[in-house]
Amino acid sequence: MKPKKSLDQFGTFEVFVQSKEGKPFQHEGALHAPNLEMAYVLAKETFTRRFLCVSIYVVDTRDVFVSPTTEGNQSAYDLISGDDGVSEKRTFEIFHLPKRGKQHVHVGTIEAGSPQVAIRQAKDLFGAGKIIYNIWAIEKNKIRFTSAEEKDLWNTLPEKKFRDASDYKGGDKLKGFLTRSQLPDNGNR
Amino acid sequence: MNEPLKELLYKIADDLLILGHRNSEWTGFGPLLEEDIAFSSMAQDKIGQSYVLYQMLNDLGEQAPDTVAFLRNVHQFHNCQLVELPNQEYDFSLVRHFLFDTADALRWDMLTQSSYEPIALLAKKIKGELRYHTLHANTWIKQLGSATQESISKLQHSLEATMPYALGIFEESPYEKEIITEGIFAGEEKLKNRWVAKIESVIAQTQLVLPDWKIITPVLGGRVGQHTGHLQPLLDEMSEVFKIDPGAEW
Repeated sequence: MKPKKSLDQFGTFEVFVQSKEGKPFQHEGALHAPNLEMAYVLAKETFTRRFLCVSIYVVDTRDVFVSPTTEGNQSAYDLISGDDGVSEKRTFEIFHLPKRGKQHVHVGTIEAGSPQVAIRQAKDLFGAGKIIYNIWAIEKNKIRFTSAEEKDLWNTLPEKKFRDASDYKGGDKLKGFLTRSQLPDNGNR
Repeated sequence: MNEPLKELLYKIADDLLILGHRNSEWTGFGPLLEEDIAFSSMAQDKIGQSYVLYQMLNDLGEQAPDTVAFLRNVHQFHNCQLVELPNQEYDFSLVRHFLFDTADALRWDMLTQSSYEPIALLAKKIKGELRYHTLHANTWIKQLGSATQESISKLQHSLEATMPYALGIFEESPYEKEIITEGIFAGEEKLKNRWVAKIESVIAQTQLVLPDWKIITPVLGGRVGQHTGHLQPLLDEMSEVFKIDPGAEW
């Protein structure tokens, strides 16, 4: 197949959601967008139309440093090497995959000159004694955060239960219907 | 005598109901999956906001929300004509969304100061929804208004075609004086001035050019029940299911 033209497909962005104040941000998925700000705008409805949310942030997929992925008793922290070169310190957000098949969860922040060094430092602080299957390090200033004044974007979300199938009690209605159709006495009710 | 207040509530509610319905027609047809979802959610927000306003009117002695939404005749609707225009290509819907939602957000911001407490409370409650609607509109306009020659010329064309209708948003109420002196709402003239400033500041960040305000003739009449031929078919479709069995419980 011919390679696609460069403008044929938008790049991808990773979306992180905080469901409640005090809870860590969790990776929810990715979406296509032409740039970071558009990604933020589209992520809000794509990932937080339903259920609880108090804040989101997004980052270009290319700005996520990804460690090797491990299995069994091996921790990804044991496979990080390289790039000890001296460069200016930046702030990195560190994310853990504590279980295969689950989502990456934010565990903390590290100041370092590279994502590899940040992860090696994160090992003692966040990864000691645990098996972590995959680690992400994202430079903080590459992230489009929710500003303090934008926190009200989700104010009315808890009232939008009509967006959730469970609000329609379909199961109850179906059960009631089946019960009625099995009992001929009640057939006319 | 609640007529001035009721007239204000009706026109805001009718704008939201009709545009909410129009925008919902994009569900399943949006240009990107993510945008389809976002536009549909905002349409749902508008219908939800109109419902609360119809409830407020019900508390003031008007008929139940479903009755006023589905059973009024076309001339009893006080929405501006902008919101009833049929969808065309997406650039038109985006431009309408930008022009209307900018005015809508500013109107609700002014209503946080209303002497009528229920509307002031509602204005504070939905601030976050409106923040998203304008963030969405401004981001798209800035993006496409500076992207390619095609996107810029499409938006420019829609902007020029839509502007006379957008100015119809600010058609004054027969009760304008009472509404202002009673402190219910600071008035269409003030709203329009704030809107012009906001529209200019966003468009200035794009390669789009605003038409000269002085030579645009606003399309009026919507606020007094005069509509284009496009509203009746919309009302027919919107109320089709309701009219099959108005007493049905959902």
